[in-house]
Amino acid sequence: MPVDAPLDPALHEPQFALHVEDLTVSYGATPALWDIDLDIPPGVMAAIIGPNGSGKSTLLKTALGLVKPVAGHVRFLGFPVAQMRGRIGYVPQRQAVDWDFPTTARDVVEMGLYRSLGWFRRPGRAARARAMAALAELGMQDYAERQISQLSGGQQQRVFLARALVQEAPILILDEPMAGVDAATEAVIFDLLKRLRDQGRTVIVVHHDLTTVQSHFDWLVIMNVRVIAQGPVAQVYTPENLRAAYGRHLAMIAAPPAPPPPAPPDPSLDETTPLP
Amino acid sequence: MSALIDLLTSGIVQRVALGAALLGAIAGMLGAFAVLRRQSLLGDALAHAALPGVCLGFLIAGARDLGSILAGAFFTGALAALCMMLITRTTRLKTDAALGIVLSVFFAVGVVLLTHVQARGGAASAGLGSFLFGQAAAILPGDLWLMGGIGALALGLVLGLWKEMKLVSFDPDFARAQGWPVTAIEALMTVMVALAIVLGLQLVGVVLMVALLIAPAAAARQWTRSLGGMVAVSAAIGAASGLGGALVSAGTRGLATGPVVVLIASAVVLVSLMVAPGRGVLWQALAARRARARIGEARVLAAMQGLAQAHGDPAYATERGMLETALGGAPEPARLTALEKRGLIRPVTHAPETTPHWELTEAGHAEATRSEKGRAP
Repeated sequence: MPVDAPLDPALHEPQFALHVEDLTVSYGATPALWDIDLDIPPGVMAAIIGPNGSGKSTLLKTALGLVKPVAGHVRFLGFPVAQMRGRIGYVPQRQAVDWDFPTTARDVVEMGLYRSLGWFRRPGRAARARAMAALAELGMQDYAERQISQLSGGQQQRVFLARALVQEAPILILDEPMAGVDAATEAVIFDLLKRLRDQGRTVIVVHHDLTTVQSHFDWLVIMNVRVIAQGPVAQVYTPENLRAAYGRHLAMIAAPPAPPPPAPPDPSLDETTPLP
Repeated sequence: MSALIDLLTSGIVQRVALGAALLGAIAGMLGAFAVLRRQSLLGDALAHAALPGVCLGFLIAGARDLGSILAGAFFTGALAALCMMLITRTTRLKTDAALGIVLSVFFAVGVVLLTHVQARGGAASAGLGSFLFGQAAAILPGDLWLMGGIGALALGLVLGLWKEMKLVSFDPDFARAQGWPVTAIEALMTVMVALAIVLGLQLVGVVLMVALLIAPAAAARQWTRSLGGMVAVSAAIGAASGLGGALVSAGTRGLATGPVVVLIASAVVLVSLMVAPGRGVLWQALAARRARARIGEARVLAAMQGLAQAHGDPAYATERGMLETALGGAPEPARLTALEKRGLIRPVTHAPETTPHWELTEAGHAEATRSEKGRAP
């Protein structure tokens, strides 16, 4: 979706891949998201970062219409999410599903095509070929007929990504895709996301690893229930903004623009613990 | 033999057997989805919550009319499901606590109503207690048609909405993000489970009905690698348990059909959990044992190759004591025998010592090199 395409005046803020305005979500009395205003331009690879419990996943789920906000609205390229279903690829957190489900990697990837098949129709040979191609993009072609329970965490994450990839959606939304995956998988995923970005797609990633923000992303949203800062990484990734989100433990984190040294372990920042 | 033929040609036995098999197939098919969606206990709550409905249906119809009794059961079951949803959404209670509360409250109301109805007397109310544990012999030909109809409906829905149900069972959030009406599909699956439960009330009773939903699915999961396989095998196990239970109880005096059906299904679960290839407990223990043996053998080979290299003699005769020292403990004799059988080592004599010695064969050297490489990261 080129940025300079003629814009339909009937649309609301169509110049942004994702436009969030006045969004508030609350579970009970405590707000999970408070008055979020957010704009992500098309064609960027954006990271959304913030400490545990800062509402990053809730923001994604609300944007996708999975959680009902108490106030505010969300637009993708000017459209409400209900009109964008087929054009948004979603990669949920890996532990959101039961990986002991009796099915194969290819079968899971084909689920990405169910929407385009419509009601009642079953995936056929064409769907299988597209699923295989998506798996191959992630180096998973040899595992296509493997039970998903027998895949490693990184392989499962690749399957999830392939399921979103097969939709060929212009907007891709990923919830912690690097959580608990091996280094090789992380490299494969970053590589793929960058290629997608270079094709002009918008990639929005809820991310937990501050050390890879500067090297891999070009747009950054820092949040903690509210939005603390947003914009190009170079402008937003500052000690002041990070401290505002994460609190005083931030001395340990890389000071921009120097390349990030490995952060010493700090339990309060440790969001990278691999899942069992 | 003639007793068996008598049994099989008896109208009532045929009816009960067919009914139990049909019920098992329907419950097995729908139970597969319920188990995968982690809704097994919802089935139990629905079954228990059907009891007050049975009594209400009786009170309203004024007679033991199956139609109104089943309608009542379905109504209170749905009410219970609604209560559970409200409790989990509006309070901090988790699903299991909500299930426990709803199940016991509805069941208690059911028992109170049941004793009340029975105390009022009347011949018609006598059979009502059979809904607790089921009474297979009470099945009528018309009931079979009802079962067949609901079974066909359930089969049609499962086949027609196959990919939708699979997607919603595996990843409801993703399904929602794709724009599927997930709540409606989930509600449809729950309603079908409730229908199966209501069908089974007469045969198996409210207390044991959930076993017929869970057991075939749990057993089937052990044997299959795809959802289609699991649903089919689950339905088959349910049908076989129903048929087997009906025949066993018909052939033996004083054995209630419902519990026997449940026991047979549970026996299938037990066997499946133990021996199913890949997932069974015994199978996994054997696999672990094999893996341990392989590692032990590889260590022996590696130690012997190390010694051979240290001596610059590929046919170096290794004494048992050397192996013990190198491995930090005596190698199990079975390891050495196995290696001999595989032709990787051969026993040799090493005069003047009389203790046993072995040397690596060429295949043994190759295997040692191969497994050494395999261990590299």
